Amino acid sequence: MGKWFKSGAPWIWMTGGAVSISLIAVLGLLLLIAWRGLSYFWPAEIYQWELVDQQGQKSTIIGEIYDREEVPTERLISAGHKFNDHPGETVTRYLIKTGNREFVGLDFRWVMETDIVSRSTPEGIAKMERTKNGDFYGYPVAIIENGKRLNPEDVESEFEAQIERAVELSEKAVGLQKREIGAINHKLEQLRLKERRYELDNALTDSRKLELQTQRDTLQADYLVLEKQFFDLRAEAGRDAVIIKDMRGQEVTLKLDSILGVTYSNRLNVFGKAAHWVKGVINFVTHDPREANTEGGVFPAIFGTVFMVMLMAVIVTPFGVVAAIYLHEYAKKGPITKMIRIAVINLAGVPSIVYGVFGLGFFVYMLGGSIDQLFYPEALPTPTFGSPGVIWSALTLAILTLPVVIVSTEEGLSRIPSSVRQGSLALGATKAETLWRIIIPMASPAIMTGLILAVARAAGEVAPLMLVGVVKLAPTLPIDMNFPFVHLERKFMHLGFHIYDVGFQSPNVEAARPLVYATSFLLVSVIVSLNLTAIAVRNHLREKYRSLEH
Amino acid sequence: MISIDKSVMKTDTLDLDNLSPEQTALEIRNLDLKYGDKQALFDVSMKIPKKKVTAFIGPSGCGKSTLLRCINRMNDLVDNCHIGGEIMLHGQNIYDKKVDVASLRRNVGMVFQRPNPFPKSIYENVVYGLRLQGINNRRELDEAAERSLRGAAIWDEVKDRLHDNAFGLSGGQQQRLVIARAIAIEPEVLLLDEPTSALDPISTLTIEELITELKSKYTVVIVTHNMQQAARVSDQTAFMYMGELIEYADTNTIFTTPKQRKTEDYITGRYG
Repeated sequence: MGKWFKSGAPWIWMTGGAVSISLIAVLGLLLLIAWRGLSYFWPAEIYQWELVDQQGQKSTIIGEIYDREEVPTERLISAGHKFNDHPGETVTRYLIKTGNREFVGLDFRWVMETDIVSRSTPEGIAKMERTKNGDFYGYPVAIIENGKRLNPEDVESEFEAQIERAVELSEKAVGLQKREIGAINHKLEQLRLKERRYELDNALTDSRKLELQTQRDTLQADYLVLEKQFFDLRAEAGRDAVIIKDMRGQEVTLKLDSILGVTYSNRLNVFGKAAHWVKGVINFVTHDPREANTEGGVFPAIFGTVFMVMLMAVIVTPFGVVAAIYLHEYAKKGPITKMIRIAVINLAGVPSIVYGVFGLGFFVYMLGGSIDQLFYPEALPTPTFGSPGVIWSALTLAILTLPVVIVSTEEGLSRIPSSVRQGSLALGATKAETLWRIIIPMASPAIMTGLILAVARAAGEVAPLMLVGVVKLAPTLPIDMNFPFVHLERKFMHLGFHIYDVGFQSPNVEAARPLVYATSFLLVSVIVSLNLTAIAVRNHLREKYRSLEH
Repeated sequence: MISIDKSVMKTDTLDLDNLSPEQTALEIRNLDLKYGDKQALFDVSMKIPKKKVTAFIGPSGCGKSTLLRCINRMNDLVDNCHIGGEIMLHGQNIYDKKVDVASLRRNVGMVFQRPNPFPKSIYENVVYGLRLQGINNRRELDEAAERSLRGAAIWDEVKDRLHDNAFGLSGGQQQRLVIARAIAIEPEVLLLDEPTSALDPISTLTIEELITELKSKYTVVIVTHNMQQAARVSDQTAFMYMGELIEYADTNTIFTTPKQRKTEDYITGRYG
């Protein structure tokens, strides 16, 4: 035994074990969220159950199995449940997603196995994704076109064609609203601000008033035209309806403009399901959220996260590098420099919410407030920069990650052999020239390392952002087609906050749960891809400035 | 006595104590140097003649590298370094407050113990000093690069891969590249701080041959550990011991008839 210890083998086992446990933890985490998140998009079987409850009441329900659990019979009996014949130790209970929220109250329902008489998977069941009230399950029966009920032979293909038409028209309408009408609203707002500015400068002459009024009138006329187009499109999209037989056996009329798509999951083979899955994932990452974020996609959150992190990187890198250069190259080595360095390192340990409070107090209220008074007095009392926004979030996170960049840049600077500096100085270069031409390029891999760490930290922060710029739902992205195209004062959506919002603030917890996993997986993927990009750049730089050792 | 190759022995000896101003490249006057409380150089005075190779020899820690680094003010980079006395170049004390250190270093180039090319291409290494002076004309740079690389006897080896990374060269080639880089800006004085101590014997030989060629255009001052090397390449030799200049004479004299007991002890290998 003693010999075994002396040989060093236990040490190898211990260290190797630590590595394996870390690996298992990381892989386990990734696999769990990836599986839970991605399987959500896989079309599940839709069942039709015939039930008989304790009172002998018969009913039919249609839906997907969402979850199942084993419940001890004792507990059910003590909770007042009566069984005709004792079913054994435990009873299986299914959580069934029945959809049809507006007709059955709740779209999730627990069903006891003992109540189930039979279960089938009819091929004709359609699952409709809707703009409101979640999914709907049922059998399409007929179509109402122009107010007339049609009973075509092939209801299903007719139905699909109609949906396509309605979706296309709705998309056109939304595009019109977002782009053309949005632009006119933007221009009208600019005119209002212009007028107010004249007013504040006491320069609002009658001729100017008239000029503004004419401009406003032209815009207004354009607006009315577009509005009419918009309403026409909407009306056209909502012209037709479909009649569905739901699980109660009743015929329900659904307007076509409320339906986004239809799937007959029970009819799909593996390839059909895979195609559906791919479409689902693509829709998830490219579409806007709907229904208090519990449905639809997360595109604005992805965009906001990436945009904010990049803005932060652009701010933090020059600042951190310059500070590190001063500390390492110019500052006298003494107790004060040492103290500053310790303070910088300790800044990394300050809880992030504290930075959020600081950002709100300093950036948003002080800095933003002053900017508003100096440059945007015409918009007051509505704040422009004086309220949380993407620029303040980026700045707050830049301060949060500054220590990381400073520390790793300094490390990189100290790794550069002094012989290279002396070589440059001996050729008549000044210290500044040596820094620019030799030292900073050679330290660039270390700077990139700092940036990688900063990005990884910043992309995962949520707490400070809740104070300085993130919102549950941002109507517009920080970049659009209206001048000046980049709107740094706007609020934005963030994947991290989206997870919190969907998971904890959602009115429909069961429906939101898979979205939490999917969004988490997406957040991890976004951070990993940002990091991989930075790592690729760093490796390229490393190769270029290979150190002198070899 | 160590054996000396007679063919490289110089016959036209200079009177080192009474060099005329035209013959003098540098004059060191009463130089003292302290690192903090520790004195490293004691009252060193000497004249270094133009377009000759002058070698500093002595045991480790005797101050020969320190003295060399005083000549282009590399010691300025060391904290707590205090210098007294003067070094005259063109009748001007280089430690005078008015002197621009960067332009001094353009006149007094330096090559270090270990090859220290920059992480750039061979070409960019050579023209680095010229670019610093604001020369960006492609033709001028190309000419200077070729001239310097030929001057450092490395042109034939690198002419086909001027734009490859300098780290791809061998140690001896890197050292010659560094010499080319130093002579590209045409200094008057070239300081070599043990330029061959990190190299293999064949590279050492190439560099030594190069040094003898360099003196036709430049004043060369070389610090070396290796007495045979000093004997082979230098015209004058200064022997230093414990921060003091013990003896300074032409190489022939130092190695055959040293006047000082300490010099004789050192070159006969009794210590060092």
